[in-house]
This record gives sequence, structure tokens and C-alpha cells, in this order.
Amino acid sequence: MSSDFEAYEQDFGTLTAEITNKIGRIPKLSGEEKTQLVLNVDKQLEEVRELLEQMDLEVREIPIQSRAMYNSRLKSYKQEVEKLEKDFKRSRIAYSDEVRNELLGDDASSSENQLIKLREERAHLLDNTEKLERSSRRLEAGYQIAVETEQVGQEILANLHSDREKIQRARERLRETDANLGKSSRILTGMLRRTLTKTFFVLTVDELTIFFNLVIY
Amino acid sequence: MDNSGKEKEAIQLMAEADKKVKASGSFLGGMFGGNHKVEDACEMYARAANMFKMAKNWSAAGNAFCQAARLHMQLQNKLDSATSFVDAGNAYKKADPQEAINCLNQAIDIYTDMGRFTIAAKHHITIAEVYESELVDIEKAIAHYEQAADYYKGEESNSSANKCLLKVGHYSAQLEQYQKAIEIYEQVATSTMDNPLLKYNAKEYFFKASLCHFIVDELNAKLAIEKYEEMFPAFSDSRELKLLKKLLEAHEEQNSEAFTEAVKEFDSVSRLDQWLTTMLLRIKKTIQGDAGDLK
Repeated sequence: MSSDFEAYEQDFGTLTAEITNKIGRIPKLSGEEKTQLVLNVDKQLEEVRELLEQMDLEVREIPIQSRAMYNSRLKSYKQEVEKLEKDFKRSRIAYSDEVRNELLGDDASSSENQLIKLREERAHLLDNTEKLERSSRRLEAGYQIAVETEQVGQEILANLHSDREKIQRARERLRETDANLGKSSRILTGMLRRTLTKTFFVLTVDELTIFFNLVIY
Repeated sequence: MDNSGKEKEAIQLMAEADKKVKASGSFLGGMFGGNHKVEDACEMYARAANMFKMAKNWSAAGNAFCQAARLHMQLQNKLDSATSFVDAGNAYKKADPQEAINCLNQAIDIYTDMGRFTIAAKHHITIAEVYESELVDIEKAIAHYEQAADYYKGEESNSSANKCLLKVGHYSAQLEQYQKAIEIYEQVATSTMDNPLLKYNAKEYFFKASLCHFIVDELNAKLAIEKYEEMFPAFSDSRELKLLKKLLEAHEEQNSEAFTEAVKEFDSVSRLDQWLTTMLLRIKKTIQGDAGDLK
């Protein structure tokens, strides 16, 4: 009976080796081969489980003294199978991540990640549109200010021009006034001179008459 | 500042001055110190008027200044008289616009008599402003602005003349005297075209002239715009010209929506002022009028 068990153990050993091998290979493959391999590994896992059941039955038939050893071996085999199943599952999931990372966003990706990418792209585009709108608004405001500045400039220029004429007129008038003042000052000096000469003349005449009067008398 | 006290003082001064004037009227006074008394009276009137101004009694102040002015005329002091009339006008401006205009007119007569046209023109402008704002008699305002512009032209102050002419054009267009407005705007525009300081204004005047042409007749407007483009190449780049072309198109197609849109676009860049909006509205009405029932 134990020889059956040992035969089962050998089978178990080869099967698990193969499964581990295939699990190792799964992430690197894709498409058809991958599905085939996955099916293979599934089948082999089934066989392994059946083996384990049979080993269990065998162990029950073994006399109780030696059962402990076989029990412990059975337990370790079961744990191994569970570990293999976990690995298998991980390899299927890890497979998709690794391949996507290698290909960087090829179409062979899950729809969830596609949605995330689309949402990112849309946010990016909205950002850009907003920036463009802001810039165009600022440009328009700038243009308005430029136009207003031009109008203000026009008014100022017109004012300057009329002020220029006023100043020119004022300067002309000042020159005239200056000339007039000069003339009046000359006239006044002339008047002064004439009055002085006249008074002088009158005084001399007076002196002479007085002198003659004195002489006569 | 005890204003009511000032006012009483002022009234006293007026009474004294009146007495002096009457006294100088009598024979003896006239013989000896007539002039002297009248001069004193003038001075007293002026002081009284200033005190009334402090008390904010504008009509009394104006009255006092007028009296002073008349006395100055008697003394043949034309210049002093004119200045007193101007002071009277300023005082009356705040109280009785009509009286103000009378005083200012008298002042203008004296100035034109003496040959001081520039200052007469300045006072014409003041009168026109009063008509604009307080008495709202646009026609008389136009007349005074025109007179002022003529005087300025006579004194070779073209800038000031242009300023007045622009106002004349402004108001004549408002009163629908389009032919006159067109002439004025064209004249002003051609004269400012060459002056490097003022040429940036020229395009505005051309624009206004074209608008007036437009109201009168569309074909006129087209011819006029071509003429202006020839005369003044910088006009062709302006946004105003683009607006005009769009308006012409809209008018041809009798499409008041395109018209409104073009106007709105222009307005969004630089706001349209009152005059422009009125003119454009008139043009728009002609479109809608032509289109009949179409809205």
C-alpha cells in the first residue's frame, strides 16, 4: 500500500514541477499561447488535487502507527498545492500588468485603465482650453486699454496744440507790450528833459530881469 | 467769516456809492470833483460786489458789477468796463443765466470794438456753454460757437477754432443739419491731416463725417469713404473704417441684425459715446424703415 502512496508522491512531484515551470512561463507569453498554457495549468492543478485525494485515501488505509508520517507529508503537499494555486492566480494578474508596462499603453489593456487614461486626457485638454481662453481675454483687455490710451493721447495732443497757440499769442503780446513800454519810457525822458530845459530857461530869464531891475534902479 | 455781516456792509456801500453818483450829477459836483467822485463810486461798487460774492448773493453781486461797469463806461474806461461786465456775467451765471448772457454780450461788444477778438471769442464760448447747459437752446449755442470759431480763425488760432467748429458740427448733426455737419467735419479733418500732432485725430473726424453722409444717403457715404481713403491712407487701417464697411453691407442687404452685430462688436472694444449711438440708431432706423415690416 505504501508503494502506491510513493507512486502518487512521485506523480505529485513531477506534476508540481511542471506546474511551477509553466506558471513561471505564463507572464512572458501572451494571447493564444497564454490561454493554452493557462488551461494546461488548470488541468494539471485538477490532476494534482485528485492525486491528493487518492493519497488521502491511501493514508487512511495505512495502519495507525505509520500514519503520522504520511499525514504530515500529505499536509505539506496540500500546502504546496495551495501555494501553487496562489502563484498561478498571481501570475495571471501579474501577467497583465507586466505586459502593459512593457508595451506602455497598447490596446491590449483592460478597460478600467483606459477610462483612467481618457479622464486624464480630458482634464488636460480642459486645462489647455481654459488657459487659451484666459489668454484671449487678457489680450482683449490689453487691446481695449491700448485703444483707450490712443484716445486719451489724441485729446492730450489737441490740448497741447491749442495751448501752444495760446502761448505763442501771449509771447507776441508781451513783445508788443515791451516795445510800447520802451517807447513810453523814451517819451517820458523826453518830457522830463523838456521840462527841465524850460524851467532852467524860465529861471535864467527871471534872474536876468531881476538883475536889470536892480541895475536900472 | 460773518457772511450776513458782510452782506449788510455791502448794502451800505452800495447806498453810499449811489449817493456819490447822484451827488456828482448835480452841477457843483460836476464842476469840481465829479470824476473823482464817480471813480470812488466805481471802486465802492466793486468792493460791495465782492462782499456780495462772499455772502453768496450772486444776483446782488452781479448787479453791483453791472453798475460799476456802467460807471466805467461813463469815464471812458473801456477795458475796466469790459472786465466788470465779465465779472457780472460770472456772478449771474450762478443765479440768472439770462442776465449773465446779457452782461457777457455787452462785454463782447466792447472787446470787439477795441479789436480784442480772441478774448471776445473766449466769451462767446462761455455764452454758448451756458446755452448748452442751463438754457438748453442749442441753436443759439451753435451760433455762438460759430462766431467764436470765426474770431479764432481771424486770429490764426486754428486749434481753438477747430475746437469750436467741432462743437458746431456735433450739435448740427444732432439737430439733423447734416450737410453743415459734413462740411465742418471734412474741413476740420483735412486741416488736421497734415499736422503731425493732430493727425491721430483726423481719422475720428473722417469717421464722423462718413456717418453723417450715411444718414443722408448711402451712396454718398460710399463715395465719401473712397475719397477719404485716398486722401488719408491711415484711415484704411482703422477699425472705424472696417465698421463702416460692415454697416454699408448690412444696409445694402437691409439686414439689421448684421448691423447690430457689427455695432456690438465695435462697442465691445471701445465704448460708443452718446453722439455715435444716436447717429447709429438713426441709420438703423432707416434700415428698418426701408425693410418695412421686416424686423
